[in-house]
Amino acid sequence: MFDKMINFALRRPKVVFAISAVLTVLAMAQFLRVKIDTDPENMLRENEFVRVFHKEVKKEFGLYDYIVLGVVNEKDKDGVFNPRTLEKVYNLTDGIRKIDGVIAYELMSLANKDDIRQGDVGEVVFKWLMDKPPYSQEDALKIKERALANPMFYNTLISEDAKALAIYVPIKEKNISYKVSKSIQSILKPYKGDEQYYLTGLPLAEDAFGKEMFVQMGISAPLAMIVIFFLMLWFFKHVNLVLIPIAMAMNVVILTMGLMVGLGFPIHIMSSMIPIFLLPICVLDSIHILSDFFENYAQTRNKNKTITHVLKTLFIPNLFTSITTMAGFFSLSFAPIPPVQAFGVFVAVGVGMAWLATVFFIPAYVSLMKEENFKNFGVTHEELKAGLFSRFLVGIGRFTVRRWRVVLAGTVLIIGVSFYGISKIQINDNPTKWFAKRHPIRVADIVLNSHFGGTYSAYVVFDANDKGAEVFKEPAMLSYIAGLQEYLQKKGDVGKSTSLADITKKVHFELMGADNAYYSIPKTKPAVAQCLLSFENSHKPDDLYHFVTPDYSRLNLWLQLRSGDNQVMARVQKDTERFFKENPAPYALTHNWSGLTYINMVWQDRMVVGMLWNFIGSFIIVLLMMTLLLRSVLAGLVAMMPMTVTVLFIYGFLGLTGKEYDMPVAVLSALTLGLAVDFAIHFIERAKALYREKGNWQEASEEMFLGPYRAILRNALVISIGFLPLFVSPLVPYNTVGFFMFAIMLFASMGTLLILPAIVSAHPGVIFYEPSNKFLRSCPQCLLMSLVIAGAVAYILVAYTGAKWNVASLAAVFSVGALSVVCFSVSKLRKCFLNKTTK
Amino acid sequence: MVLREKGGIVKKIGFLLVMFLGVGLTNSYAQISSDEVAEKASHVSYYQGKDGRSLAHMVITDAQGRTRERKMAILRFNIGETQEQRYYVYFHMPADVKGMSYVVWKHAGRDDDRWLYLPALDLVRRVAASDKRSSFAGSNFLYEDVSGRSVDLDKHELVDSDESFYILENTPKDAGQVEFSFFKVWVDVKNFVPMKAEYYNKEGKLYRIVEVLEVKDIQGYPTIAKMKASDLNSGAQTVAEFLDVTYDIGLSEDIFTERYLRNPPRQWIKE
Repeated sequence: MFDKMINFALRRPKVVFAISAVLTVLAMAQFLRVKIDTDPENMLRENEFVRVFHKEVKKEFGLYDYIVLGVVNEKDKDGVFNPRTLEKVYNLTDGIRKIDGVIAYELMSLANKDDIRQGDVGEVVFKWLMDKPPYSQEDALKIKERALANPMFYNTLISEDAKALAIYVPIKEKNISYKVSKSIQSILKPYKGDEQYYLTGLPLAEDAFGKEMFVQMGISAPLAMIVIFFLMLWFFKHVNLVLIPIAMAMNVVILTMGLMVGLGFPIHIMSSMIPIFLLPICVLDSIHILSDFFENYAQTRNKNKTITHVLKTLFIPNLFTSITTMAGFFSLSFAPIPPVQAFGVFVAVGVGMAWLATVFFIPAYVSLMKEENFKNFGVTHEELKAGLFSRFLVGIGRFTVRRWRVVLAGTVLIIGVSFYGISKIQINDNPTKWFAKRHPIRVADIVLNSHFGGTYSAYVVFDANDKGAEVFKEPAMLSYIAGLQEYLQKKGDVGKSTSLADITKKVHFELMGADNAYYSIPKTKPAVAQCLLSFENSHKPDDLYHFVTPDYSRLNLWLQLRSGDNQVMARVQKDTERFFKENPAPYALTHNWSGLTYINMVWQDRMVVGMLWNFIGSFIIVLLMMTLLLRSVLAGLVAMMPMTVTVLFIYGFLGLTGKEYDMPVAVLSALTLGLAVDFAIHFIERAKALYREKGNWQEASEEMFLGPYRAILRNALVISIGFLPLFVSPLVPYNTVGFFMFAIMLFASMGTLLILPAIVSAHPGVIFYEPSNKFLRSCPQCLLMSLVIAGAVAYILVAYTGAKWNVASLAAVFSVGALSVVCFSVSKLRKCFLNKTTK
Repeated sequence: MVLREKGGIVKKIGFLLVMFLGVGLTNSYAQISSDEVAEKASHVSYYQGKDGRSLAHMVITDAQGRTRERKMAILRFNIGETQEQRYYVYFHMPADVKGMSYVVWKHAGRDDDRWLYLPALDLVRRVAASDKRSSFAGSNFLYEDVSGRSVDLDKHELVDSDESFYILENTPKDAGQVEFSFFKVWVDVKNFVPMKAEYYNKEGKLYRIVEVLEVKDIQGYPTIAKMKASDLNSGAQTVAEFLDVTYDIGLSEDIFTERYLRNPPRQWIKE
């Protein structure tokens, strides 16, 4: 059947191209209805409690996600409090109010906040803090004094050192943050001067990241392709031939993305990474073919014959690598995280298409080329052995075969060090840190959080059990909340907190003639109520209801954090819970968390930890596949070695260098699945074939050094160098991609070329055995196999505890099952296949 | 005077509520100047009778449909035929603010004097009234809606009129003092009750509406019985009903002093 497939492609290349062209056009047409989803919150289902609650809290307290615009003046001795800067701020505020999508009414700026203060003797005044720009320095300083004296503004709207002030720009929806920030930037242009302007805030970081991610994809993927192209050209010295993997990769990416978009899946941050995953996988498949084609062409001088021969030799390893990779990615979608599911399924689909492309596309392409094109193409066996590269390969090859004990000892050492590193790994994430340190958003984040109480918001929402009792007017209750605020402030992670208690104290203080003895919660409930009703006589009485519901049964405590790190948020949450435990509330109440910083912690935790579990699960599934393919659990384990060492080393490296295990790392770990096993499969399959031919490992290994070794190293070089440009991307996840490609290629190839031959030299029987249908009859095999299956089943059960089944997960489980069956039956093919090709 | 010929309107009084006006062009249809319309509307709204009382019941409904209530007695006293007035406001509801009260001395041409009494703190404080465009007790009415905006503060232009309404456009003389750029008022041609006012912000966008929902004749005075203020920015609105409105009840001026804040005039403020 396989012969027929190749022959068909060779004889009717135009039909193959026509079909693929039609499919490509169809796929591209799908992009017309592309939906882009840059909201990382969608990592959680719409109906997750935290999201529903966040929405409810926002609505109930009239809260909005906001962008923070910081104005910093380091040059003036009074900081931002000089008439020039304040006039700019005043005019800016006015400009920003008019931007589409900005909730002008809730904008927080010195220029639209009401203040309560002392007027003439015995008089209390509600006056706008800055209803017009000040004329004199003296007026500016008055504004400063008042702003610093108001707990609602201090450290929120103006910094302690008065060098910075902030404008909080509430926006209708998170996904317009980037657009709004662009509008703000254009408004800022005429206001340059002594002031520095900074824009940050979680919604902006998230939205900007989503947008820039796509831009980076547009730059990085083609850039990597170009580098890869030139590297391959250097290896194979044949433009047309080298175009194959590039064309194939593009084709596969377009078809996969087109299919995804066509089926109505939005392109999420996660799935925007699909091209970056498929590209190396396609290149990997085709370089093995090109490499062999390059080395065998000189023998026959017939391109069609050579390509048929090469494809047959590589049929089994290519099929096996594709199947294992597909199974690995399908099993990623067992995760109850919608975008990860889509990602897993479509990478797997892409891998399948890549395999089809190697079978149809490559022979069709080759058959269309003219024989004259290949005049000086390829190398003879003798030329092969002569090169420096070859001598190097033979050198390390022989070393591993002879000194396998040294290699294995080294491996054990590396694994040991890696485990130590893994024990040090820090799980943490913060969307702002997805930007490189020099990125404007990151710079703004650092500057503003050094001046203010914090640009990251979280809310603790308290519900009184007795709904009708207006519990949050009770002095004891307000004092309790104030106690919690003080406690959190002392702990250090919360830079600023604001609650109804602060408003009450401030109003009380001002009503009592600004006497410090009265900077406190009044003693009786009516006194609290009367202070608050006095506050309602201000220009913005609604401000009260950002902090409490009109029936006083629900209170909102606003926490500002200087860092959006999950670890920081988790610590604040823990501190709060400890406070509740140690200090029982005077009235029965429950509490819940809300705010973007909190939501991020939830989804990132789920994502990061979930991906870790998924990865372990996929590992087991891939092991299962390998076992079935190789018909030996032991061989399966051996084949997993390079990947295992790679993963351990990468994680160990992260732990040792202090790089945090965050979402990009979690996602990219999955790349190892797609790339690291492939080398091992190629190695084992080729070793087996050569062993069959030569009859012993010594001779077989000598052949290995030249053919498969060369292909593997070429692959490693092409991909690790090809993705090096990503290191200069301003987005950290792209740097991470670059790092991962580099580390995976280095370790997986080294693992394959050093560890596998060392293991085989130590005990050739591990892989050189007669595959048998009855392999499960041996007791140890059976035992190991049961363990593997039990592991796989346990993983699926764990992944689905409490999670709902959906189409993606059903499809994934079904596909993995189907692939297992395919694996098992395909492994039968090998015997007849090998017999045929070796003849 | 013209006002006197129109059925003694000058003597009549109302309180609470909106609209004022001044300066302006003459209108051929009505043969009445824009300033006259503004002045009459102001009188109908705030100056009818020598004095008066009412019980105001406000329901504030926010954008989410949550409601808060306020109930207060309002006493008013005119100082002769001048623009000077005294107000006394006593809160009955919410229960925990019962007894909170205000005295306002409304002056012509200068800032009002305002005193606040908080019974729970036994505290009388002067409250600055330099800016009268702050909320009245958390409702969507402003202080200026309650005690009246002086017609001298705006330029008035009669932009349109038909058989039902004079339509005035009022532009503040000092734009820096207020948050609106102009407001339009629909004044009933029959009794000069300002039936609706629309406020436009600095961008020329409508953001606030105050409208009269019900007018009653009480002791021969056209009297606003129910009105509504809507804030289009926040989506909140307040409906105020005026119960037990009576005019010329013989209030004495000394009620409107600091002393009476601590000892409210029970006779007049009862529910």
